[in-house]
Amino acid sequence: MADYGYQTGDRHVPVRWRPSAHAGRLLTLAVAALALAVITHRPEFAGLAAPAIVLLSTVRAARPGRLRVRIRPVDSGFAEGHPSALQVDVDGQGDYAAELRIEPGEAITPGPAVVIPGPAHVLLPFTAQRWGRRQVGMLAITLRDRYRLTEGSTRLGLPWIDCRPEPAHLTRTILLSRLPSRLGEHPSRATGEGSEFVGVREFVPGDRQRRINWPATTRRGSIHLSTFAAERIQNVVVIADATADVGEPGASSLDLVLRGATGVMGRYLADRDRVGLVMYASRLNWVAPGQGERHFQRLLDLLMSSPGGSDKAAGFTRLPRAALPPGSLIVVFSPLLDAGLVEAVRDVRERGFSVVIIDVLNSEPGDDGSKISGLARRVWRLEQQAIRFAMLELGVPVVHWDGRSSLDGPLARYTRKVMVVRR
Amino acid sequence: MIASSDQAGSRVIAAPRRWRTIASVALLAGVSVGWAALPLSGGAGGTSVVLSFAIGCGALSVIRLLVGGGRPSEAALGSLVHRTAEYLLTIVRGLPWAQVTAVAVLLLEVLHRSRPWHTGLLGLPLLGYLLAVHLAETHAGAGVLRAQLPLIAAGFGLAALAVGVAELPALHGGVLSPVIRVIAAAAAVIATGLTIPLWLGRNR
Repeated sequence: MADYGYQTGDRHVPVRWRPSAHAGRLLTLAVAALALAVITHRPEFAGLAAPAIVLLSTVRAARPGRLRVRIRPVDSGFAEGHPSALQVDVDGQGDYAAELRIEPGEAITPGPAVVIPGPAHVLLPFTAQRWGRRQVGMLAITLRDRYRLTEGSTRLGLPWIDCRPEPAHLTRTILLSRLPSRLGEHPSRATGEGSEFVGVREFVPGDRQRRINWPATTRRGSIHLSTFAAERIQNVVVIADATADVGEPGASSLDLVLRGATGVMGRYLADRDRVGLVMYASRLNWVAPGQGERHFQRLLDLLMSSPGGSDKAAGFTRLPRAALPPGSLIVVFSPLLDAGLVEAVRDVRERGFSVVIIDVLNSEPGDDGSKISGLARRVWRLEQQAIRFAMLELGVPVVHWDGRSSLDGPLARYTRKVMVVRR
Repeated sequence: MIASSDQAGSRVIAAPRRWRTIASVALLAGVSVGWAALPLSGGAGGTSVVLSFAIGCGALSVIRLLVGGGRPSEAALGSLVHRTAEYLLTIVRGLPWAQVTAVAVLLLEVLHRSRPWHTGLLGLPLLGYLLAVHLAETHAGAGVLRAQLPLIAAGFGLAALAVGVAELPALHGGVLSPVIRVIAAAAAVIATGLTIPLWLGRNR
């Protein structure tokens, strides 16, 4: 069977024809029965061959040599675990029935095969099971004639897709007590031009008359004004640690880092906050905080282009100033296995940033039952506890996330009330 | 299910139908072998051997459909049991067990004395078995055979003709008489079999 790679637009692909297995079986029955009839002098065996011979005599010589095929994804974006589909237009097969089947690539679950009796547009469903850039697979087209005696087949490459991580669920966000002086949607402690009522104060020349609080003015006998909270924006920087990828595929630490980061970034951008991203991997890449859908796409592009967990971190212990605007909330997704990242978080905290670490480590070193193995495991656990304790001592809360539940649970303690900034 | 089409008649291949088809294959294989073996005491020498062979081949043809055409795993890295299982599966997948079963059934019928009507009726489950194997292999429904029904009916008409020829009393034409009778019947079957589709095509 000929294989053809993926191309956009119309493609004319040649079809290779061969007798079907069904024709082979009918031929075997006919030849064997006729041979036995002659050898044993029993005409009834010739009768056994009759239905097979009648069916075999319908073989046609005229067959379509090429098919016109057009493949395009139905959706522009793909997320792991979400069903999607490819639209396939097939033409040129005449009255031959075509069976279209996806031969899946890695981490792709195909939908059922579809049979079309003639030229048609069909949707072939599939589901990408894991984030990343991957090929959907190959499209196998099998043509069969009316009597199923010949089969024409061809295989085409299906498109590559960028599959986003499934965003972690997060409904409430962490809000800092001090916000930068930039117009936004979060009521701050400072008074300003927002809509949330803060209190009443006495009129001073220059105040706007529309802010006069008439009930208070009447009660106190002098002009009083309503004051409102200033509405500020919050800068959030997500640090995604891609230096390690431990745990079962599909629920590894890197999977959880990407899903959690996607969820947090999406949630804060939905609140019209400014969100930035630092990818901590073999190279340090970042996108400075920004807003909007296009910015979210830039963040996802950076997240997806991470080199993965197999590369060793370069040991960056100081994150660049450009990536961390003053007063930002820093949310770190990490299994805390890389000493460089732990050092970088310590440095960020010492520079006065409010930091929250979401620990995504859900696996431990293997234990073969020996004493040495057990001891090594205990030492490893103590090291991990020491790292987390050191972070807490610095004023950096560490919360554990298992990747299955919502992020609201682990973060509840910090989302219920404003997080006080301590320098 | 998302799969759809803007052309009437397209269909999605569903898995449950395949189980029914494979069950039909097993049933028709059993009927074919059983019918050809009857009566068990009436066969010539070697009948029990051929019967065992036919039963084994029929069972393997069903197993072949059940295991499908999956790729062998990394057997070289597995245990001895795993590698042996992979090797056996490769054999099961690689040989055309349905064809071997059909030939074994014919041999089983040959080992019994001449009984034309019995042999003629054997054609029904045997052809049904081969068609069911095809449906199971291609995950197709029985509807795809609708176009073949007139041809199958014509084929069995010819089979009935051949059975009738076999039931006629032998002519007293000498030593070559039975041979000539068989060759004439086979020629008639082949010639008519090749003509029927042309005739059907002209009338369509």
